[in-house]
Amino acid sequence: MIEADGLTKRYGTRTVVDAMTFAVRPGKVTGFLGPNGAGKSTTMRMVVGLDRPTSGAVTVNGRPYAQHRAPLGEVGVLLDAKAVHPGRSAHEHLLALATTHGIGRRRVDEVMGLTGLTSVARVRAGRFSLGMGQRLGIAAALLGDPRTLILDEPVNGLDPEGVLWVRTLLRGLAAEGRTVFLSSHLMSEMALTADHLVVVGRGRVVADAPVADIVARAGTSAVRVRTPDAPRLAALLVRHAGVEVRSTGADLLDVTGSTAPAVAAVAAGAGIVLHELAPVHASLEDAYLQLTADDVEYRSHPADATTPTRRTSGARR
Amino acid sequence: MTTTTAPVPSAAAARADVRPVTFGRLVAAEWVKLRSLRSTWWTLALAVVFFPLLAAMRSSSIAQVAADAGPGAFVGPVYVTSGLALGQLALCGLAVVVITAEYRSGQIRSTLAAAPTRLPALWAKLTVLVAVALGAGIVGVATGWAAASPWFDAAGMTVDLGQAEHLRIMLGVPLYLAAMAALAYGFGAVLRSSAAGIATVLGLVFVVEPAFSYLPWEPLQKVATYLPTAAGSRLVTSDTMGSVVAGSQSTTLTPWGGYGVLLGWVAVLLVVAAVLLRRRDA
Repeated sequence: MIEADGLTKRYGTRTVVDAMTFAVRPGKVTGFLGPNGAGKSTTMRMVVGLDRPTSGAVTVNGRPYAQHRAPLGEVGVLLDAKAVHPGRSAHEHLLALATTHGIGRRRVDEVMGLTGLTSVARVRAGRFSLGMGQRLGIAAALLGDPRTLILDEPVNGLDPEGVLWVRTLLRGLAAEGRTVFLSSHLMSEMALTADHLVVVGRGRVVADAPVADIVARAGTSAVRVRTPDAPRLAALLVRHAGVEVRSTGADLLDVTGSTAPAVAAVAAGAGIVLHELAPVHASLEDAYLQLTADDVEYRSHPADATTPTRRTSGARR
Repeated sequence: MTTTTAPVPSAAAARADVRPVTFGRLVAAEWVKLRSLRSTWWTLALAVVFFPLLAAMRSSSIAQVAADAGPGAFVGPVYVTSGLALGQLALCGLAVVVITAEYRSGQIRSTLAAAPTRLPALWAKLTVLVAVALGAGIVGVATGWAAASPWFDAAGMTVDLGQAEHLRIMLGVPLYLAAMAALAYGFGAVLRSSAAGIATVLGLVFVVEPAFSYLPWEPLQKVATYLPTAAGSRLVTSDTMGSVVAGSQSTTLTPWGGYGVLLGWVAVLLVVAAVLLRRRDA
């Protein structure tokens, strides 16, 4: 259980985290979703006391992180895959962490087995790939068998096999009744892993709801229709109350406020041939883009030459 | 890496036995961290090897001229501990890097996540470092003694631990090294950068202190005797032969008084480091 209350972090005049209030509950995977620069990492660092909040407070399992007598037994944290001295082996890194909490070598070997690091236990961490670094960070987070896990972008740099492994692991940990809080800017990954989402943009919580609710809230579903008689069908459809039609191509219509059977009935009644009729469901991606549309810190402006993004430079070429 | 996708039974196949963080456990963990880096052993070897090397070189060279100087002209411990001036630099480098490397690599976040009250982690690392510096000093003095002894007769000198001054210098070397390591560690903890930390320590020893003591203005020279290495090295300075470390000779400080002044500098610096560690984001 993680409870943030009015959590705020300012660097000078720049407010990175702005009065965030949310709760992360046990027994499910909670995703912390937001664009780069939305304040996710800063928030997570404040949860474990590495950054001091400017104002507000946050507790883990009922008290501030620093007040736990055995913090690694309460909270496992992966903030940065490279929070490791490059000259130290994976085994020694984990052993040093374990020693602070009187955790034995058996548990060190166990988490290395669990994360697939046994074969590279004696290799210095500086030689690790990003993916192996992530595994070591996850091993460190699991060391104290904690009730709460906080993972900042855990699948970053992992191969597809590793991504699947992390997803299975996190879902398993949540099923055991643990609190799992992970951040990502990848909504596709969140859609597969998370049960609940805290969506943030520019340091503020813009949504805090189950994944299904957030998708549902993304708006009415649409029906896509392909027909050679597009203008005539469009004219017939808009006579019905609440129906809107957008032409998205020469023979393509996006119909909102109606259903596929209703559209088919109208077409059949007028003798219009349909080549394609498909309901289009709003995705988490649509929901996410809608929620954070105004809150994206680093946006690419294809038409705006003053913003040097990759896309603009491509357009100018 | 094929074991990775094996089904995950549970993160807690055998429930981990987790105990509260204590200072003793933090010290043990810092020892694991220090001993598990190769650079630690290289630097320690470098720090120690100067002792037998310089002890042998200087003892053999004075053995050539001892006949002219007369018996008892040379104080044995001064030659035995000749390696101190260079040995302290290697050890100070280790002391700076032991903390700054944590900031450079991000390891500090792992360290402080395990010890979120922060200060115990700072003191635990200091404890290990001071113990290692004392150990290195003892090994250095012992090997220096062994390396110089073949020339003792020819040079007309001895090491007699029954003599107060001999004992003070021989024991003073590990104590002085431990204090200097703590000082360098303090600089590292405040500056959080290897380059800045090492430059500061070297600048203090080679630039600031000599500048104060050589400039021909008395108030400045007086201040110079209270600067860390000048004051601290009184402990390892022969009353008749002068210091192997500092240039400043005209001091009113007693050996232990001088060492006390060095410890005072260390204390001030560590208090600053502690306050900053509590306040700053990691």
